[in-house]
This record gives sequence, C-alpha cells and structure tokens, in this order.
Amino acid sequence: MGMELNRRNFLSATLSAAGLVAMGPLLSACGGGGPSRAGVNSESGLKAVLPAYVPNTSIKPDIASVAGGPDVMTDPGFLGYPSNRVATVSGVPGKGGKYSAVTPLWGTIPPADNSFYQAMNKALGVQLEMKPADGNNYNTIIPTMTAAKKLPDWIQLPGWWNPNFNTGGLVGNQLADLTPFLSGDNIKKYPNLAAIPTAAWRAGAWGDKLYGIPSFSTGFKVAGVVFYRRDVLEAKGITADQVKSADDLMNLGKELTDAKSGVWAFDDVYRYIYTSFGAPLKWKVDNGKLVHLYETQEFLDAADWHRKLAVAGYVHPDALAGDNAGGNTRFYGGKTLISGGGQGAWNLADLQSGQAANPNYRRGAFNFFSADGKSAPRVDMGQSTDIISYLNINLKPEQIEECLAVANYLAAPFGSAEYTMVNFGVEGTHFTMKDGVPTPTEAGMKEVQAKTYPFLAAAPSVVNNPTGDIVTKDLTTWQAANVKALAKPVFWGMNISMPQAQATAEAAQPVEDTLKDVIHGKKSVQELKDAVTNWKSSGGGDRLIQWTNDNVLQKFGTGQ
Amino acid sequence: MTLPAVVLLVVFNYVPLFGLATAFQEYDPLAGVWESTWAGLYQFERLLSDSLFWGALKNTLYLSFVQLVLFFPVPIALALLLNSVLSERIRNFIQSVVYLPHFFSWVLAITIFQQMLGGAGAVNHFLRSNDIGTWDVMTNPDTFALLVTSQVIWKEAGWGIIVFLAALAAINTDLYEAAAADGAGRWRRLWHITLPGLRSVIVLMLVLRLGNALTVGFEQFLIQRNAVGHDTAEVLDTFSFYYGIATGDYSYGAAAGLFKSVISLLLIWGANKLAHAFGEDGLYRK
Repeated sequence: MGMELNRRNFLSATLSAAGLVAMGPLLSACGGGGPSRAGVNSESGLKAVLPAYVPNTSIKPDIASVAGGPDVMTDPGFLGYPSNRVATVSGVPGKGGKYSAVTPLWGTIPPADNSFYQAMNKALGVQLEMKPADGNNYNTIIPTMTAAKKLPDWIQLPGWWNPNFNTGGLVGNQLADLTPFLSGDNIKKYPNLAAIPTAAWRAGAWGDKLYGIPSFSTGFKVAGVVFYRRDVLEAKGITADQVKSADDLMNLGKELTDAKSGVWAFDDVYRYIYTSFGAPLKWKVDNGKLVHLYETQEFLDAADWHRKLAVAGYVHPDALAGDNAGGNTRFYGGKTLISGGGQGAWNLADLQSGQAANPNYRRGAFNFFSADGKSAPRVDMGQSTDIISYLNINLKPEQIEECLAVANYLAAPFGSAEYTMVNFGVEGTHFTMKDGVPTPTEAGMKEVQAKTYPFLAAAPSVVNNPTGDIVTKDLTTWQAANVKALAKPVFWGMNISMPQAQATAEAAQPVEDTLKDVIHGKKSVQELKDAVTNWKSSGGGDRLIQWTNDNVLQKFGTGQ
Repeated sequence: MTLPAVVLLVVFNYVPLFGLATAFQEYDPLAGVWESTWAGLYQFERLLSDSLFWGALKNTLYLSFVQLVLFFPVPIALALLLNSVLSERIRNFIQSVVYLPHFFSWVLAITIFQQMLGGAGAVNHFLRSNDIGTWDVMTNPDTFALLVTSQVIWKEAGWGIIVFLAALAAINTDLYEAAAADGAGRWRRLWHITLPGLRSVIVLMLVLRLGNALTVGFEQFLIQRNAVGHDTAEVLDTFSFYYGIATGDYSYGAAAGLFKSVISLLLIWGANKLAHAFGEDGLYRK
C-alpha cells in the first residue's frame, strides 16, 4: 500500500487494515468464484457417447474369466509367459510429435533420458518425455500445476484423488474432450483401446463426455480383502471356508492370539470388513429415500464388532497405535495372522518378500461373508479403474490423434510384442528369457520395472506372476469363488463432482476420527452416534444428503 | 553478502504472506486467490464456533504448559551437570551422544518409543513373559502429556544445552575462585554466580518459548494422533492440517493459522515486556 510504517502511525495503520477486513463483505462483488464443475454422468447421455467394445481374441488366457452380475467378471489368469508374442500394431504409431507426460510412481524414479525411454521413443515414433513424480506426494504436486494452469501434454490423475484434484472442474477447462475421437465406432481406429471394456471408459467420463483413458481396467474391483497366513492357519487345520460369519472371525481371534509369544491374530481390518455387515460403500437407497452410510445401523454394528475385537486384545498393539506402514512387515514376520489390504498386495513381489521371512509363506484370503452368516454375501464394487490419464486441452486435433495412436500401442494386450516392450524393454538389453519367463537385467531393473508408460494407457488387468504361478492360481480361484457377491452400488460410474462445501462435508473428518477411536477400542459406539449427529447438523452432513438427493438421485437416478 | 539470505527470507517468508488473503475468502484452488469469492470474517466465525477448534487450542496450551514446567529446566540442569565434568574427553563424548537425537526425524523417534514401550515392545514383552500386567503407555490418553514431554526431553534436551554451555563458558572463572576463597560451597556458588550469569540467556529462551506457546509441534502429534485419539492429540497445527488442507477446506485452515499467528505475536510482545520487567533485554529493546 506504500504507507510509511513507523511507531507513530502503526496504530492508524492497524485501524485501516481492520477497516479493510470489515469491508470484506462489500468486496464479495469482486471475484466471480471458480470455474463451473462438470456435473454428473446421466445414463442416456453417457450411452450415446461410450465407445464400442471389440474384445481382443488373439491371445487366450490359461485361466479364463468367470462372469458374475452386470459388468462383473474375474481377471483372466496367465501362467508363465507366452512364447509367441503377437504384434497387434502395424508400423509406428507416431509422426514425430513432441510431448511431455507426468505420471505417479511408487518406487525409485528411473534416470531421465535412459536407454529404455530412447528405445520406446523409437518404437512409438514420438518424442515422449516421461516425467514420473513421487506417488506418495502426488496429491501435493498436482494442485500446484493445476493452480498455475501448467499441466503437461499428458497427465495421469488417479481416480481416488478426484475430489482433491477437483478433476470434475479441470475437465473442459484444462483437460481435452476426447468424445469426437473415441465415441461409438470412432474408437475402432484404435483396436487395442476398443478392447477396453465400456465400464472402464465410464471412469474417465465427466458430464456425459469422454475425457480419460483408462489403464488396468477390471471387472473385480473391491475396496479390500481380508487376508490370512494360509500356511500358518492350514497347519492348525483352519481353512477359509470355515469362516462364514462375523462371529466365526471373532472366534479365530481367540484361537490364534498368543500375546506371550508375540503373535496377535488381527491387524486393523475394519476398512476391509465393514461392508460384510450390510453397510453400503457410501450411499444406499431405501424405498426411494437416499441414505448415507453414517445413518445406517450396519455402520454402527461393524464399528462395534471391531471395537470388541480390539478390547478383547486380539488386535496387534502396533496396529492399535496407528502404525499402518508396518502392517506388511508384521504379516510376513507372523506377528499378525489376519490382515486387510487391496488385491494389489497379492502378487509376485509379496510372495518373494514373504518367502524371504518364511519359506512356507502363502497368502490366502477369506471369502466374502455376511455378518449374520445367513444372508447371501454382498460387496459393493468400486468403479472399473482408478488409473486414468487425460490429455491437455491445448493440444490440436492432429496431436490428440497422435497421442491416441500412442495410447493404442501402450494398451496392447498381455503377451503381445508391444506389451513385452512396454513392460520389459528390449530383449537382451533390459531382459533375458530364463525358463520361458522374461527376467529383468540390471538395466531393466533400473529403467523398466518401475511402472511409467502403463500408467498412461494399459490393457485390461490380468493376473500374471511369472515364477510365482501359485499366486496366480490362488488369486483367480478366490476371485471365481467370490464373483457372485459383487454388485454395483448406488451412483456407480456416475462421476459426481460436487461444490467444495459438499466435498468437505463428504470427507467428514470428525466422524472418521471418532470412528478410528471406536475401532481401536477407545470410545463407545454411542460417541460415534453423537459424532454422526453432530456431522449431520453442524458438519454439513444434512446439506450433503440434500444436495446429493436433489442434484443426483432425483435428476439422474441410481445409475444401476 | 547478505543478499542471498535476504532473497531466501523474502521469497519463503514474506511473499507467502500474500496467501493470508485466503483466510478471508472461500478459496477455490482452481480459481486462484484473485477469482475466489470473498467471505469477510465468515471463516473466523466458523472457527470460533467449532468445538474441535477449542479442543485443539486447549490441548495446545495444556501441552505447552506441561512442557514449559517439565522440559524447560532440563537443558539448564544438563548443561550445569556437563559443565562440572572435569575430563574433556568424557564431556565431549556425552555431549555428542546427548544431542544426537535432535537430528533424528520424529518418525524414527516415535518408532523407537513404540518398539521399546509399545504394547508389543521390549518392556511389555518382558512384563508379559513374567506374568506382570502390561504397561499401556503409548495409547493411554490420560498420560499423553507426560509421554509427549518425555519424548521431547529425550530428543531435544541435548540440543538445548548448547546455548547454555556457551553462556556458562562466558562466566568469568575468577568469580568462582574468589567465592571459593571466601568459603562459598558448591551450591552457594551455583546460586550466586552461575545462575545469575545464565540469567539473561534463560530469560531470552523463556521469552522465545512463551512466544512459541502455540507451537507445540506437528509431526509428533500427527504420528500419534491415531494412537491416543484425536481429542487428546489434536493441536492447532494438526487441526489446521486435518480440517483445512486435508479436506480441501483451505480457507478454514488459513483462518486457523492466521488466528494462531496473531495470538503468538501478542504472546511474544507480552513476554518481551515481562523480560524488561526483570531488567533483561529480552528479544529486543527499543
């Protein structure tokens, strides 16, 4: 303001600053608020633009997919690795364009401009500058780019961070609309993209327009699984099918906990088990009335069950102290025997880590059950994928087509020549074939093993663990046994983008905090009920339910 | 010469002050500071009517007070003890060992505490195998203040002695000899020479600590929030983080932060006046 600030006029300066603050409400005329958000996907609007689906039949899986309800199916399984690598893309997809791409990476970032990137650029026919960023801090890196409006040409935005990144507000403002290029039969120009199931394209669709390119789409997306040490439990004569109800699981706690030898039955499993009590993932419609998870009795029952587990002393003290990072270490070391996690934990790396601790290590998973043991088990499924990439709105149509051709190459099916290149690199330089299985060389470990290109576009998810076929067999068997339990929740695939006030109410931090205390045995269920009542009245909960009812349920239905 | 430091200060400390405007808005990160709607004192009204905020403030003041009483004298005592050690080698060795934990991150420090004192830790393992009841200290909300203070003592007391050792070294050794010649014992020399010599430094550190009363720490409470429950472990900085940044409610977090800064400014000013009353220079003197 250019005022001279010294002792004499400090007081008057403070007063005028205070005056400015009081003027605040008058200033509300300035500043028009943010860009509008994309709204919700409607069933009819979306059906008109969704791409055609042309499945790929050239490579047959060893373990076939098993279908469940609509859009539900298990992932196909492959044992070993195909020796005959079919080429699905003829020629070079690119025309020499130059692009930058940012993806998250949970691992060591490969050196820039390495031999793998150079080989990929040659195969793709573009200069694609890959700039992977730290996955653990990705949610703090992206907002700085979007606030500065400096997104790269191609960016990956994980679906679980949609509220944080405000993806609904970015589409159409900073991210390109791909509907003219991919809707309906237009996608047949890109056969590998056409082989991605329609459900996956919904995940990247906003306001009835296509924006995102999906990777790793699956028909078996669940929030989590309750795992157990199969080797340890089977040695005691316990098998997965013996656990059919919440009480059965609680009794296992008594049987398996031996605090004196440092073994506790459970790690923190609440997140992976609450839906077994009949609680919805987030929303439910009861006789046409919209009900939020927190309002249901099942939510309280599930929290109470876990509270009893903690109070009885069946949960490992480190888990009760909030140490989630050490969960896998406890599991491998046999200090906890029952743990929760996503399906991504069940893979070759897990087998190798576990066997390093105990050669008999074998991961198993309990089947989904219903808490009372009588009704049919039902689990809400998540959207088809959370790994979605978007193109920058500033790209010209020819550039978008070039990027889509590159995406077509990257989405080549499992076992094809392109898939091998993207995931393993150049034979001889980055991997060699050992026992019919691609084994990374040292250069391959450093440059290729970290997932960079597949996060831009990738074929539908398959289960494959070369040298660890038992994992593939266990996982596919488990999926097949449980496929009937999966069902679409209310608002599935509708990609709702809501105003900030509603988004904050949805995060419901105070309720989540109290919930954590209850499941760790520190608070009673009554206090959780009080927290929910508080959330509904002063935490914006009732307003959230009202907004969702008026703007989503009434206008667009349940999306079933 | 000082230009790089000045640039650093301006860029990281003064330029971000511009962001304080978000505390008076309903900030939308996509719209930026210029385009977001203004909300006057709405965020502050929300803040002052939020019982969780008052809980966080109460915790912050309580923990600050406990640390002031229990932690503050420890570096002084430690410095005095260390100063009386005759052997140079032993003194250097102890000094290095004692200030090493300052360089650990809080994640490491709390992991160590958890591995030693946690429910599955070394101490409880010993108690359990001897059929003595377990000592649940890492997850007990009632003793949390003491736990936190002991963690701070373990980690920071060693570092704090550096300032006091320097002050002790500045005291004229002739005074000790003269006092000893006059028949003053060890405790009298401590009371009449050492402590008055340290007085200005103690008062300065006290002023700084009072001014920082609202900053009890962040990572330490973030990590242990789940262990003891959020009503016990919530302090102003974690409140700002969880209810502001983590839920995308940036304006609310900014309002909490601004509130904290204004109160801290008043505290420093008050503490400095107190220092002047003691006859010391304090932080600054006009």
